[in-house]
Amino acid sequence: MEYILHLFIFISIYILLSQSLSLAAGYSGLISLAHAGFYGIGAYTSALLTVNFGLPFLITLPLAMLFCGITAIIVSTISLRTVDDYFIIITLGIQVVVFSIMNNWQSLTRGPLGIPGIPSIEIFGFPFEDKISFLLLGLFFVGVVWFLLNNISRSPFGRILIALSEDEIFTQSLGKNVYKAKVISFTLSAMFAAIPGVLYAHYISYIDPTSFTIDESIFILSIVIIGGMRNMFKIAIAAAFLVLLPEALRFLGMPSAIAANMRQIIYGAILIVVIFRSSKEFMPSIQTVK
Amino acid sequence: MSFQIIINIALQFSIISLVGISFFLIFNTGKYYAIHHSAIIALGGYFTFFFHRKFGVSLPISIFSSIIITGLLGLFIEFFIFKNLRKKSSETFFMIIASLGIYVIMQNLISIFWGDDSKTIRVGEVEVGNIFLGAYITDIQIVIIIVSIILIVLSLFFLKYTNLGKKMQAVSSNEELSNIFGINSNHVILWSFGVGSALAAIAGILIILDTDMTPSTGFKYLFYGVVAMIIGGVGNFKGLIAGALILVTAQNLSAYYIDSKWMDATAYVILILFLVWKPLGFSGKRLRKVEI
Repeated sequence: MEYILHLFIFISIYILLSQSLSLAAGYSGLISLAHAGFYGIGAYTSALLTVNFGLPFLITLPLAMLFCGITAIIVSTISLRTVDDYFIIITLGIQVVVFSIMNNWQSLTRGPLGIPGIPSIEIFGFPFEDKISFLLLGLFFVGVVWFLLNNISRSPFGRILIALSEDEIFTQSLGKNVYKAKVISFTLSAMFAAIPGVLYAHYISYIDPTSFTIDESIFILSIVIIGGMRNMFKIAIAAAFLVLLPEALRFLGMPSAIAANMRQIIYGAILIVVIFRSSKEFMPSIQTVK
Repeated sequence: MSFQIIINIALQFSIISLVGISFFLIFNTGKYYAIHHSAIIALGGYFTFFFHRKFGVSLPISIFSSIIITGLLGLFIEFFIFKNLRKKSSETFFMIIASLGIYVIMQNLISIFWGDDSKTIRVGEVEVGNIFLGAYITDIQIVIIIVSIILIVLSLFFLKYTNLGKKMQAVSSNEELSNIFGINSNHVILWSFGVGSALAAIAGILIILDTDMTPSTGFKYLFYGVVAMIIGGVGNFKGLIAGALILVTAQNLSAYYIDSKWMDATAYVILILFLVWKPLGFSGKRLRKVEI
């Protein structure tokens, strides 16, 4: 039972990650491979503030989001000078740099040793120590973020994003500030990615750079793509499916030494199949937003 | 010490520009960022390691067969996956995503078969090497530099003077028009993937002969190669060589003055500087993608 709760907590973390990426990748067409980087920035900010200064969760969470947002603004004002393929390469670079900072700035992040002993979350004296309460906390955040993203995507701003992902120049000709809209959506997406980072750090109570690699970014992006880019509900289903998949493999008797690799191979294969099946209908399918 | 830096620069420059050229060949005609190319680089090294160490095949034969197999693999991936994708849609975004998927599959297959620890073909102890003007250089490093320079010059001649190279340039500049002139662009793209993958395999073999190889090594080198290509101006062969030189020099200087662990970050900072102030590369050739 404990183990099933643990899986559900991970599902809620990945739902948060992939839905926040969906705002950038699905709505405004900014395919970002740096999402695990922002996830890691959130986790590290909260962990360092808690371990070094003993700040409570209600302060570290907004600070982590703020710090992620500032980083994202700086990074996106530069990288959004490029479009399409170049943007993907740039975000790949951001991911590399963020990982290299986490791995190499040893006086701050302790490098590959990681940060142990992160205390569990405590809100107004109520400790979220057991798994059920933590799961409820995770689901609460899933609900909040889902609600916010739904509202953002239906607001006038969301319609600008959808318009610019379809035709940037046309949107510009309607008098919309495309560049600003892109920067805002990228920054919001990064700020939402800080939430699962903070949750992860306090849940596992130990973080090291290997949790925030480029493979993680590809994994999050594939959840979004498999879920159909813009459909929040399908993305949640896809996140649950891809997190539960390796567990299903374990029940089938796959040795645990190659289970992690097999998980990645399977999602790589799913990614290719999805692209193959839908590359013709892909754009229409993500255009129908109700 | 200062001359040692020059030798290090020469060594890395030769490998990175070789990787860059192998990527340039496939990018020029294929027109998408083939991220799975990094796994091809790694496979070149791993196949040589496998034949030489596990089956005891002599080194030249295992190098040769590794180049052939890896080249064919790159060609098959293009033939079975990307040729069909290209038929279905023209969006390069789908191809990059599919290429990411293939990269994930191949890299994990490598780590299932050969493990995540580092592999090398180097025999016995690390040699001190020859002392050359107060700097150390091993025999294999001399071989690497010579082989790379020969291959760089050869590929320049290949693109300029051979029939296939000219066709590749035609397809790269305008695919439809070259189809009208009777060049089968699909064949040319396939050939460029074969040649590019074989070159990538050679780069991987040179890497595993000199240093260690882990499943993620190829990705690091491909990233450097792509940065070199972007700062040189995409689609510009000489710009690529100059870009590789700038990149490697900056990295080695940062390693000397700051710390060698920030080399990845240096590469990225250079990429940013170029994209902000010289978005078309220093050659200034205009690109369709960046013109918005």
